[in-house]
Amino acid sequence: MLEVLIFATLNGLVTGFLLFMLASGLTLIFSMMGVLNFAHASFYMLGAYFAYSLSLYFGFWTGLIFAPIVVGVLGAMVERYGLRRVHQSGHVAELVFTFGLAFLIEESIQFFWGRDTKNYQTPELLDFPLFTLLGQEFSAYRGFMMTISIGIFIGLYYVLTKSRVGIIIQAAITHPQTVSNLGHNVPLIFMGVFGMGTALAGLAGVIAGPVLTTFPGMATVLGSIVFVIVVIGGLGSLAGAFIASLLIGLLQSYAIASDVGMPDLLNLLGVSFERGHPLNDLWTMNLPQIAPVLPYLLLVLVLIFRPTGLMGKREE
Amino acid sequence: MAILSLVDVKKNFGITEIIRGVSLDIVEGEKHAIIGPNGAGKSTLFHLISGRYNVTAGNIRFKEEHIENKPPYEIARMGLARSFQVTNIFSRMSVFENIRCALFWSMDYGYSFWHLLGRQTELNDAAMHVLEQIGLTDKAKFPSGELAYAQQRALELGIAIASGAELIMLDEPVAGMSHSEAQNTVELIRKITEGKTLIMVEHDMNIVFDVADRISVLVYGEIIATDSPENIRANPKVQEAYLGEVPSA
Amino acid sequence: MALLKNSSIWIAFLVTLLGLPLVFDSILAISIMNQIAIAIVFALSYNMLLGQGGMLSFGHAVYFGLGGFLSVHALILIEFETMVFSILWIPLIGGVFGLLAGVFIGSFSTHKAGTVFAMISLGIGELIAASSLIFSSFFGGEAGISGDRTFGPTFFGFDFAQNIEIYYVAAVWAFIATVFMYLFTQTPAGRMANAVRDNPERAEFVGYSSRKVRFISFCASGLFAGIAGGLFALNYEFITEENLNAATSGRVLLMAYIGGLGYFIGPIIGAVVLTLMNSLLSNYSELWMLYLGIMFLLTVMFLPRGFAGFFMMHQLAWIRGNMKMLIKPYIITGIPAVLFAVCVIALIEMSHTEDEVFHYLALELNPASPITWIVLLGIAGGAFYAVKRSLLQLNDAWETANAIPKEEEA
Repeated sequence: MLEVLIFATLNGLVTGFLLFMLASGLTLIFSMMGVLNFAHASFYMLGAYFAYSLSLYFGFWTGLIFAPIVVGVLGAMVERYGLRRVHQSGHVAELVFTFGLAFLIEESIQFFWGRDTKNYQTPELLDFPLFTLLGQEFSAYRGFMMTISIGIFIGLYYVLTKSRVGIIIQAAITHPQTVSNLGHNVPLIFMGVFGMGTALAGLAGVIAGPVLTTFPGMATVLGSIVFVIVVIGGLGSLAGAFIASLLIGLLQSYAIASDVGMPDLLNLLGVSFERGHPLNDLWTMNLPQIAPVLPYLLLVLVLIFRPTGLMGKREE
Repeated sequence: MAILSLVDVKKNFGITEIIRGVSLDIVEGEKHAIIGPNGAGKSTLFHLISGRYNVTAGNIRFKEEHIENKPPYEIARMGLARSFQVTNIFSRMSVFENIRCALFWSMDYGYSFWHLLGRQTELNDAAMHVLEQIGLTDKAKFPSGELAYAQQRALELGIAIASGAELIMLDEPVAGMSHSEAQNTVELIRKITEGKTLIMVEHDMNIVFDVADRISVLVYGEIIATDSPENIRANPKVQEAYLGEVPSA
Repeated sequence: MALLKNSSIWIAFLVTLLGLPLVFDSILAISIMNQIAIAIVFALSYNMLLGQGGMLSFGHAVYFGLGGFLSVHALILIEFETMVFSILWIPLIGGVFGLLAGVFIGSFSTHKAGTVFAMISLGIGELIAASSLIFSSFFGGEAGISGDRTFGPTFFGFDFAQNIEIYYVAAVWAFIATVFMYLFTQTPAGRMANAVRDNPERAEFVGYSSRKVRFISFCASGLFAGIAGGLFALNYEFITEENLNAATSGRVLLMAYIGGLGYFIGPIIGAVVLTLMNSLLSNYSELWMLYLGIMFLLTVMFLPRGFAGFFMMHQLAWIRGNMKMLIKPYIITGIPAVLFAVCVIALIEMSHTEDEVFHYLALELNPASPITWIVLLGIAGGAFYAVKRSLLQLNDAWETANAIPKEEEA
């Protein structure tokens, strides 16, 4: 029981930090530009595919460095030549644009790489168990994922709070007009933040690809979850996104690891139902089964009762 | 008799006090102007009365009924209409539709989805009548978002007065207008508020002294004087707050 | 009455709907027309939300799908004679359930428009799609549920075994639904939906609760989406989780947006165009979804008001009798534009083919030869340059055609 708990926690943390790499970029982009980037997870997927292709010729480590850069440049171009143009038509159009972009990226990936799952491997260097606890192994690669994501988290924190650019970005989050009036090149900052955010997403894809499998649906799997995180954390709040990322990561990990279900609850209450009961599905539900539903349930509840999210200040 | 009365109304944003205890009685049928320097809280006061903001403390009664912290639509239904300082219209709809939307509730359509608008002769005539009053008859089908500025201001007024509210609140109705446009608008305001109560925020002192029966001076969230135009002009406290701004004539 | 004024349009619409099978009577055509009828109702119901009411929904398939599931269950009940009524009423069952779902979900989701509404709709969409896989006794799990439409009482001898019979049912329902959705826009509630879309704050100051106005549109939209779901159930006799998940929600957004939000006819155009593309292009190219994605992005970027908006842009030039000034520039820009598109599609298709000879239009291209590639790229580049150059001219012509004549200005 204890090892299940420990490993569920560790895996939850790995997922949580990974989610934060996506959520942080999405939050920054939203804070700056007021647009929720529907295609954010698609850039994550692009990261995985680019890294896969690069790893075939130059090995994993080249992919790790160059794939995020390529994704970031691509993201910056999308902002410059697509989003900026759509901006004039309002927020709905922007949201719809990124929605279409997500659709197009998925189709393009199927076009270039095909529909099948890619055999994107963890590097040999990291192909050993980091430690063994009570008979269960924790792979070095997961440890590596965690190291990278925590490193990014610290780096991001440092850049945003200590550097000049970071301070301008912070200011632009709360007072975009003022920053523009102060003579900063806001469009350039937008492009930079969009590029950086998508590069982060790309990096997340690079390191997640070998573990979460690289296939055309990987953006859809993670995309809505990241959205949920950003909204639950409070639109525009990095701290909120961080907390929500870990929360969702752990929540899902625990739900999957546990095998508790309604039957256990009903046993506890001393109630029983026949199998033929019309609500049989309800009485036989168990936690691993409803794990995928939990984030959305949380999202809807948060939006109804606290539309600003956990730490958010702005609603729109 | 007071149609609107404010008792010790306060409004804070965070720790900043914007309205610091305003008490004011508006008599039925009077034309009341609220003046004061920028940042005095005039627009905030309007927002409090019309329900856009909740009050922090104090109470507001309209026709003897408490309206503080009621949603704007309930207050509007009681017969209190307002215009906005920044033009605030239904920009993708035609001028005619803008006015018609402002008429629905007062003509008892409610949330009806069973009345076909084409058939509502009385409603459509009423809307055309308002357009006539504000001089936009020939722009009836024009997209309101593309009107010239002065025409948008006229429409802004039209939406406020369309419902035939007893109390009309106008927030800087002539802001940004040329002298002649402003004169026309003042005439229009006089015409459409006849027999009604008017509260107006305005910076142009000529217009204020021209239109108002009584004037309240709001400085830093407090009313320092409420009196007839002559007495306000002579009030030393007001002169201090308004150094050089009160016309000597 | 507004409806009567335009009654000729409505009669034309009905005649077109009912007359189409006489022109196109192949099995494929009937099946496509069935899909179009369903898509029109669905897309129009979506436009009630986004186009008329300003509510961007990423979960509209929920109402379509729930209506559909209830309809299939109704078919099953008819089959086992638990209930006896004509299947003609099935779409109504879908509609009522769509409405109920709308009332329930709308009661808490219409508080705000904008991003909050969009996110709630997304969350609920995912929630219900995921739950539908858990509650498999009602939703049938991955496989979905199926029924048989031929069991109910016959209608003047028709037992609805044929697709063509269902087409007439769908066409009549689509017509009725379209009329009612149009009439809704002509009521105070429909007009206030526009007002709240444009300016929710001001709407409150003319006596309307923005939330309640949105709620009414939302429920009405759920009703019609449910009707579309019912028509789907009648046509296919089965329904799966796919019909209420995010992909279906996305498709209806695409239809309404490409067709043109804010114009009543827009979603109809979108429904027809996308259904045709879906059914016809997918026969020729497995990449049609890629083209759809490209087309969608181009529409959002360059035609923010969709196809219908593009046509409506010419209203002024039309009224002024200046359309002929635009014909020549359009042709001059249009020819290289089409050429460019043709070349790009050829390049895309060629890079994806494994055949020795690639048949394209009337041409036989050799994908293995670099010359083919160079020539195609060259033509595409030249065409692109020509489009860019001639756009200036088109712009000038546009300005002149829409310019205010001197006397009118004075």
